[in-house]
Amino acid sequence: MVISMSKTKYGDPGNYTNRELSWVLFNKRVLSEARDKNNPLFERVKFLSITASNLDEFFMVRVASLKDMVNAGYTKPDIAGMTPKEQLTALNKVTHELVERQYSTYNRSLLPQLVANGLKVIERHEDLTEKEAEYVDQYYEENIYPVLTPMAVDSSRPFPLIRNKSLNIGALVKKKDGDGSLEFATVQVPSVLSRIILLPCENDKEKKVILLEEVIERNIHKLFLNYDIVCSYPFRIMRNADLSIEEDEAEDLLKEIEKQLKRRQWGQAIRLEVEEGIDRRLLDIIEEELRISEEDIYRIDGPLDLTFLMKMYGLSGFEHLKEKSYAPPQPVPELPAECDIFEKIRKQDILLFHPYETFSPVVEFIRQAARDKDVLAIKQTLYRVSGNSPIIAALAQAAENGKQVSVLVELKARFDEENNIVWAKMLEKAGCHVIYGLVGLKTHSKITLVVRREEDGIRRYVHLGTGNYNDATAKLYTDIGLLTCSPSIGEDATAVFNMLSGYSEPLSWNKLSLAPLWLKDRFLFLINREKENALAGKGGHIIVKVNSLCDKDIIESLYEAAAAGVKIELIVRGICCLKTGLPGIENRITVRSIVGNFLEHSRIFYFENDGKPEYYCASADWMPRNLERRVEIMFPVDKPELQKKLMTILNMQLRDTVKAHVLTDKGTYEKVDKRGKGTFNSQLEFCHMAVEAAGRQEQLANNRVFIPEMHHE
Amino acid sequence: MSVKTFAAIDVGSYELSMKIFEVSKARGMREIDHIRHGIDMGTETYSTGKLSYDRVDELCRVLLEFKNIMKSYQVSDYKAYGTSAIREMKNKAILLDQIEQRTKLHIDVLSNSEQRFLDYKSIAFQGEGFQKIIENGTAILDIGGGSIQISLFDNDTLVSTQNMKMGVLRLQERLHHLDASIRQCDALIKEIVESQMNVYQKLYLKDRQIKNIIVVDDYISTIVMRKGKSSGISGFADRKMMDYFAQTCRSKSLSELSRMLDMAEENMPLLYISLILLRTIMNTMEAEQIWAPGVTLCDGIAYEYAEKNKIITSSHDFEKDIIACAQNISKRYRGSKRRSETLEQIALAIFDSMKKIHGLDKRERLLLQISTILHDCGKYISMVNLGECSYSIIMATEIIGLSHQEREIVANVVKYNHLEFDYYEAMERQHSLDREAYLKIAKLTAILRLANGLDRSHKQKFKNVKISLKEDQLLLTVDTTEDITLEKGLFGARADFFEEVYNIRPEIRRKRM
Repeated sequence: MVISMSKTKYGDPGNYTNRELSWVLFNKRVLSEARDKNNPLFERVKFLSITASNLDEFFMVRVASLKDMVNAGYTKPDIAGMTPKEQLTALNKVTHELVERQYSTYNRSLLPQLVANGLKVIERHEDLTEKEAEYVDQYYEENIYPVLTPMAVDSSRPFPLIRNKSLNIGALVKKKDGDGSLEFATVQVPSVLSRIILLPCENDKEKKVILLEEVIERNIHKLFLNYDIVCSYPFRIMRNADLSIEEDEAEDLLKEIEKQLKRRQWGQAIRLEVEEGIDRRLLDIIEEELRISEEDIYRIDGPLDLTFLMKMYGLSGFEHLKEKSYAPPQPVPELPAECDIFEKIRKQDILLFHPYETFSPVVEFIRQAARDKDVLAIKQTLYRVSGNSPIIAALAQAAENGKQVSVLVELKARFDEENNIVWAKMLEKAGCHVIYGLVGLKTHSKITLVVRREEDGIRRYVHLGTGNYNDATAKLYTDIGLLTCSPSIGEDATAVFNMLSGYSEPLSWNKLSLAPLWLKDRFLFLINREKENALAGKGGHIIVKVNSLCDKDIIESLYEAAAAGVKIELIVRGICCLKTGLPGIENRITVRSIVGNFLEHSRIFYFENDGKPEYYCASADWMPRNLERRVEIMFPVDKPELQKKLMTILNMQLRDTVKAHVLTDKGTYEKVDKRGKGTFNSQLEFCHMAVEAAGRQEQLANNRVFIPEMHHE
Repeated sequence: MSVKTFAAIDVGSYELSMKIFEVSKARGMREIDHIRHGIDMGTETYSTGKLSYDRVDELCRVLLEFKNIMKSYQVSDYKAYGTSAIREMKNKAILLDQIEQRTKLHIDVLSNSEQRFLDYKSIAFQGEGFQKIIENGTAILDIGGGSIQISLFDNDTLVSTQNMKMGVLRLQERLHHLDASIRQCDALIKEIVESQMNVYQKLYLKDRQIKNIIVVDDYISTIVMRKGKSSGISGFADRKMMDYFAQTCRSKSLSELSRMLDMAEENMPLLYISLILLRTIMNTMEAEQIWAPGVTLCDGIAYEYAEKNKIITSSHDFEKDIIACAQNISKRYRGSKRRSETLEQIALAIFDSMKKIHGLDKRERLLLQISTILHDCGKYISMVNLGECSYSIIMATEIIGLSHQEREIVANVVKYNHLEFDYYEAMERQHSLDREAYLKIAKLTAILRLANGLDRSHKQKFKNVKISLKEDQLLLTVDTTEDITLEKGLFGARADFFEEVYNIRPEIRRKRM
């Protein structure tokens, strides 16, 4: 769809970072939050858990995909010039390092701190007191044993299927009356039970816990009664079992596989985690059965699968060790509770900044539309919604009230398919017109259109956002939303839904830019315009905040713009394939990443445009998949006061000295040098700002001076 | 304030489109939604005369969707028109009924001149820009799938219009037939178009200076409109720009082009054909610039609706166009201008004084006027078969602004001015005219005959006639000293028919000196 740009001097692969390696760096930044002593202890525990689940997903999707390529003999180099094989080799090294770092964090920092704060994790069941041991054994009998399925392997019983991502205990066993030969046995640690078992305590000051697998290990002899247990160790495997081919590679990879008539090796094990010090004989059996190579084995110094730490975060009694300095979502000053949202939007465009400001106006927007007798139609795109979503309920209500409700439900949203189908059916039942995604494209745009018949004709109200219509994640993700009734955006919104319904594209767009057809060109145009301005001596300045930056054409044009003199400040939370400090560019491009209490998710774009600055927000990152294989929307923010709000956000993030890492010319991320700058935590400051703004509004509302009505209707 | 929501549906040759409008006196017309669905009906009808089952199915499905959209906007009125693809269908009556049964949408078929008139209306409703541009020599080039229409302006009045079967879809079909390569296309289209344009130039264009071409189409308009959007002046392009577009089309691949021009790839071939077509026509006319106001048939449909319901009015006088067109035709067939004028004067005077009796309105007055202008055009071919020849000429000549039926009324009125009147019961076998149209023909014929009788000698003796209605008598008082024996003598027969139609006896009187 997009023709590659002419080769320029920055086209060389040496000027780009591999996206997988960059992702590992991102996960390391998350890990550094777990290591940061300034964070409350339980938050650190949570961050460590996040790095573990992140890494799991990374393996299942990205590493699996690379393995596919290698299996298919696919050798096309990536943006940084690395073949899939080279990428795997490089990744192997850094992921092993990452895992080591995870466990040193766990063992050396978190465990001692937890003990000091009254939570003891008993690492080995041998360390249980007699009383505790009695308790866990009874717990085993009553709760664990009934759900265990032990499996032994001998000549008549083949090696059992070890389920993806499950935690297992492998054992070498010996028949009590046999010839002394060793056999393999395994039992899955049941995922229906909590990994963490709270032990009874004599005093309130200390809590003790033990992990489920330790309790099973302790009692494993009861599972194999006719055997002696020689040794037992936990292990965990990750399989290439993601049925959907990762969309980034999809097109040409599929072709390649077809060409070679090679089947993907479904279910191939791509990672094996075992406890350090595992018996070599046991490991050999697992290794051979899974046909896994040595470099894919991770020897773990501690409990496998650290995602249990998220459960630990939820233990009661440790509230004082959790983050409390971040205020909950605040009311939006322009939209006081129980106001008529449409009236407020008619007054002015409203920019919402979540999670500092509450997401409820968005829900309320749809709720009011559902009830409003003048509303004719509601149209919305839904990507991931929360379970029991109030938005879904409001849409269904609207349809029942006779409104025309069209909803595009993206079923291809990863890991969410089943969930989505359920409520999509529900909407259909209520009388909504449901479109189940578009063939070959993921619909990632976030847009809602409310068509209302008013006295002087039809007026369209539009909500555009950078984040999903998900009231749960809206409390954790930072996102921007715009409520407007600008006619030109309204027209475009109508055109968007016409296109999503399968009608021809509009003859032209007023304000919105859409991927996959127009958005990338628009970005390249905007970047290039800064370059031209810089070349003409007018200066140029770009500030962009995205989650990932890995589109080669975009990066190349950024390099060129910087070489021409444009100042480019990037705030990239995750993957960044762009390098800083290239010859001819020097320090004109800076990259920083903010990993904090909330997940940075908004995408904001600022272009100086020779003194007539333009601001945009979008649902898209600067990734090929966003720009070329998804339906995405970028919208301008035109109103000066809203532009000011966006600039404040960007500026404050650029000032952050607490949660920001800066990309060095060496390709590493370092925390900002605080000297002379003081501490500035942008997310925390955003909270303060939102609280203050809401407070001011409340004061106004509580004003005790009566205001006489001057008009009578 | 009353705001009406109106839907205009265009069942075109390659696209099904609907525009939703809000129409109000205070704010005029406001487009709210424009929905388009590409469906190629032209290719099938132009080659086989019928539409395949699948296409009909698709058509009905989309129309039903349109209906839902109409419902969601609470549309109070709609108008759906089919154009050339439906027009040329052999079994259109069956098809339209089928559609109506399935979708409950009624589709009317526009004749070519009606369709072009709607396009023209939507251009004229562009207001000042339009009035300004037609101050200079201007032609309207309306490019459709099946045919193109060229209309010429003289001063600010539209004077002639010609249809040529060189629509883009038809050209593409023809090229396809010739199995031409892309490179050859250019030359082939030029050749086809030039041969027709040469004839056109000799017969119609003559030495008219055409500076501007107003383009109505779906492809060129889009790119020209977009080009102008950034610079503020929308829709204008000069020859240089058209050359540039044509050149780009030749040198780039379809996908490159579609990217450059930001248009769907499947539209590229038709855009290319449109461009060459336009360039060739620009060359023959030596036009300097084009203006593409970007109007569509849907706009015209909506304007027609708004005008009919007296919600908006245009500053442009369309009746003047129709009259000018008729005069132009009369001129071509050497009609006598002076005689026409007298006839017009008398006939209209009779019409006006009979208002209470005939119950016809302004529009029929216009038809009568056109009939007087064209009353003798057949003479050019045969002095004996004047009636038949006039009828044929009128039926074969497009008059933009008149519907097909209106044209048929005019042709019949002129015919029966000379021939014995056929009664409805006899006439209906030959014509598709309904009773109402027949009555109009009868009423107008009676007036025209009477007027014609008063000027039998063609000497304009009755130029100053006073007409008054007295109970069951129509008194025609002539202020002339000349001998009116001939007129009086021939008057009887004509008066009989008049009396038959109106039950009123006309009497000639000479004004007492």
